[in-house]
Amino acid sequence: MNGISPKVQNQIAMLQQMQQQMQTIGAQKTQYEMAVREAKRATEELNDVTEDAQIFFSVGTVMMQKKKEDVLSNLNEKIETLELRIKSLEKQETMLQGKFEQLQTQIKQALEGKVPSAV
Amino acid sequence: MVNNVDNVDQRELQSLQAYLNEYRQQAEVFAQQLSMLEEGRIEAFAATEALSAILNAGDSTVLLQIGGGVSVRARVEEPDKILVNIGADVIVERSNSDAVEYLKDRITEMEASGKKVAEALDRIRTQMNEIARRLETGYRQAQQMNPPFSAEQPEEED
Repeated sequence: MNGISPKVQNQIAMLQQMQQQMQTIGAQKTQYEMAVREAKRATEELNDVTEDAQIFFSVGTVMMQKKKEDVLSNLNEKIETLELRIKSLEKQETMLQGKFEQLQTQIKQALEGKVPSAV
Repeated sequence: MVNNVDNVDQRELQSLQAYLNEYRQQAEVFAQQLSMLEEGRIEAFAATEALSAILNAGDSTVLLQIGGGVSVRARVEEPDKILVNIGADVIVERSNSDAVEYLKDRITEMEASGKKVAEALDRIRTQMNEIARRLETGYRQAQQMNPPFSAEQPEEED
């Protein structure tokens, strides 16, 4: 970091922080997407079983017997909530990405103006 | 890149090293995924075997493992009524053959996913090898241009 002004050093630190934030958001988004896929698949499986089939819902360590329609509505609600969260994360991701690119350009310009040509 | 250059750019070497580290991390993630898929496949296969065995066992007693190498004698009252976890905390009762079918489908899916992950891992390893080769060439060139100093002369004491 020799020869880099404190301002640029600060900007680089911010850039790294943003990168970490984007990674965290990305990981969370992947987790939610997987949960949505799992819930959708469970819904498909449930649609294939007969109306009188015994269905249980896992609550903590207990498995409670539930009606098929109740489980289906529960799953649909879960999918809806998760999809909303994914959309919100996507918005955050886009916003951060924009700021990241802006800051990256600023740092690049600052460094290009200062870095001496290679010996 | 580094090949065919007269002047070895230190920043380029650093950048290549960073790429290599990034790829290494990705490769570790893929290797973990592959191992999880393989474990899942083996577990599902063992479950299909167990389901068939339970169905054929009739009234006979089976040993139910409760962990820590401890088992209890148990009798499966309804070997044709199997409770299958279909994900998202939902468990559905299925017939024995349906449960086996369900597991076989999962095994097929896991095999397909495993194949894809293995291919991705292969691609990453090929790229890692290429970067490592470029790095080695770059470092060798840098060493040739700036040979390491001989041992420092100790300062003379007054």
